[in-house]
Amino acid sequence: MINKIIKGPNRIIKWIDDRFPLTSFVKHELTGYPTPRNLSYWWNFGFLAGFVLVLQVVTGIFLAMHYKADVAQSFDSIQHIMRDVNYGWLLRYMHSTGASAFFLVIYIHMARTLYYGSYRAPRELMWWTGQGLLLLLMATAFMGYLLPWGQMSFWGATVITNLFRATPFIGEQVVVWLRGDYTVGDATLTRFFALHFLFPFLIIGAVVVHLVALHTVKSSNPSGIDLAAKDNIPFHPYFTIKDFFGLGVFLLVFSVFVFFIPNSLIEPANNIPANPMVTPNHIVPEWYFLPFYAILRSVPNMVGGVVAMGLSVMMFAFMPFLDRSRIPGGAHFRPIFRVQFYLFLLDMLVLGYIGYIPPTSQSILIGQIATLCYFGSFFVIPFISIAEERWLHKRGLPPEVEALIASEAHELSKFPHRRRKGDIE
Amino acid sequence: MRRLMIKPLVVLMMTTSLAWASEAALENIQVETSVAAVERGADNLMNDCHSCHSLKYIKYRDLVTFGIDKKKIEAWRGDQALDAPLASLMTDDAAMQSFGKVPPDLSLMTRAREGGASYVYAYLLGYYNTPDGVTSNHLFPETKMPDVLGISGTTEPAQRAELQGKAHDIVSFLAWAADPHEEERYRLGYYVIGYLLILTSLLYFVKNQIWSRLK
Ligand code: HEC
Ligand code: HEM
Repeated sequence: MINKIIKGPNRIIKWIDDRFPLTSFVKHELTGYPTPRNLSYWWNFGFLAGFVLVLQVVTGIFLAMHYKADVAQSFDSIQHIMRDVNYGWLLRYMHSTGASAFFLVIYIHMARTLYYGSYRAPRELMWWTGQGLLLLLMATAFMGYLLPWGQMSFWGATVITNLFRATPFIGEQVVVWLRGDYTVGDATLTRFFALHFLFPFLIIGAVVVHLVALHTVKSSNPSGIDLAAKDNIPFHPYFTIKDFFGLGVFLLVFSVFVFFIPNSLIEPANNIPANPMVTPNHIVPEWYFLPFYAILRSVPNMVGGVVAMGLSVMMFAFMPFLDRSRIPGGAHFRPIFRVQFYLFLLDMLVLGYIGYIPPTSQSILIGQIATLCYFGSFFVIPFISIAEERWLHKRGLPPEVEALIASEAHELSKFPHRRRKGDIE
Repeated sequence: MRRLMIKPLVVLMMTTSLAWASEAALENIQVETSVAAVERGADNLMNDCHSCHSLKYIKYRDLVTFGIDKKKIEAWRGDQALDAPLASLMTDDAAMQSFGKVPPDLSLMTRAREGGASYVYAYLLGYYNTPDGVTSNHLFPETKMPDVLGISGTTEPAQRAELQGKAHDIVSFLAWAADPHEEERYRLGYYVIGYLLILTSLLYFVKNQIWSRLK
């Protein structure tokens, strides 16, 4: 081999490449990574979730340098951060607003996936790692909320840890084990701090798995099929620039909240130090837990409520089994599924509102109906999706969909392992 | 669990009618942010509220930094250190004896109540005399705090207006105390948003530029 003389940074890169697949990695995963060119802006939210994750980790670590996890000092240390630490208020407001932003972005990301049916084969593992990420995110947010040691922190943690009383036989013990004490106290606070620090790193690990799976199965796209190679473009520069533009829009909205209305996301009662002797007259969780909280309250029996709430979060995991339709393009070409998708979103909003207001006999009834609708909308999917597919075929699919199915069949002939029972040969 | 969820429920059911009435009465006030108004508020607060309430997250030095008249601060501070917090003049024990509870710290008060500054304003001016001669409060009927400003006994419109001005200044001071960096936050916010607007529009043009290479 002729040893060409390479100068400058290229020499360093070559040195590395001889020992580590740097260039091929960048080429494979970024500059040359094939991405469907028809992705809409709804495909920006995965990147945004990754950005918010980094933001939370960075602001969180700086907050941890000034925060004290001690029932006698936590509340004061937050005020110390807000008042005395240079730009401490900015750190804290970015972190508290960032938690809400994270959920907003993830909920949109999930809604995108539901709408376009991206959870269907071959992306089931993406969906399930995503479900795992959602659970980790919820746990992280819940534990983080205890740290300022305000009234809502204390009573929210008390109510939720209490739910573990529903564990069969060892309920009492589990609650004490979780809290490290008979009531939420210093032991609870310090362990929640330790775990709130740890969990985001577990999330990072899970995101890596999520992305490795993505790069194996590749992105889905609005038409819902694996587009032939001609419709794929390299991720960089096309999607790097599109993601950065999306990031700019996101940061604009985020900054309005951080700089102008950060307190709209902080419950007034949480500006009162925790007081185990005084119950606030209305215990509300953060907005992102409200629909699930409404489901909890809708079941008159406590154990039933806890089971229903747990199930309601986990229902998403069943989607790959529930949706039997093979019509491409998610809800786009599926009129009934589309209506059902929007009704589901509406039901979520109703549940969220019911979870927010103080319960009255009327609101409890509405909550119970909405809870039934929530679970019902999952249970009807198998029937709807099969019937709808049959109906669409009988009615005759629009030519564009026929073309898509034909091209998908062609794709599948190249990837026999992705073929499912009943697929067109 | 049961108890935890039922208790707030019952309390709420009993108070919803009242809460609605008082919410309707909550006049939305705009606090003042000028040094003059905050200084007047500080003055009133040191005279009328400081005897019972602390502002433990505000130090005398913070008042100096904000630009309140040094001579006034010296008078309030006496021989306390400049870095001492604005502690209440009443010990907790004495407060427990007089009121059965310790008056809450006021540093975060305008952030710690639903309604914020408007609530505190309405609370201070919410005292009235019932027909049987008992002083009560529209917003917080069972409050242990006496009518400090004396609004319940004032009928003369000019005097009432004066008390309203006073309450307004006090609330302006409390709003500053709850969030001393608010002004700075807004100022920085305008720059950040302006910068992001320019950056995002640039990114948008670059994006279109790059994508136009595709046929
Ligand atoms: C004589 C002592 C005393 C003085 C003087 C006093 N307060 Fe109070 N204040 C109290 C007590 C006691 C409470 C507790 C009331 C309760 O919870 O029943 C209280 C409570 C409050 C609250 C909270 C009300 C709520 O919603 O819980 C505010 C706000 C307040 N005071 C503001 C002021 C302001 C402003 C001044 C000065 C104009 C002032 N206080 C002067 C004794 C006092
Ligand atoms: C920490 C949280 C998460 C991060 C950082 C993250 C990140 C990403 C990224 C970067 C992508 C690339 C494609 C895109 O931008 O849409 C992606 C795709 C995907 N995500 Fe997530 N995600 C997270 C949580 C979730 C959750 C909660 C779910 C659902 C339960 C989910 C389900 C999916 C699926 C199914 C895809 C593949 C969809 C496709 O490309 O068509 N993700 N994710």
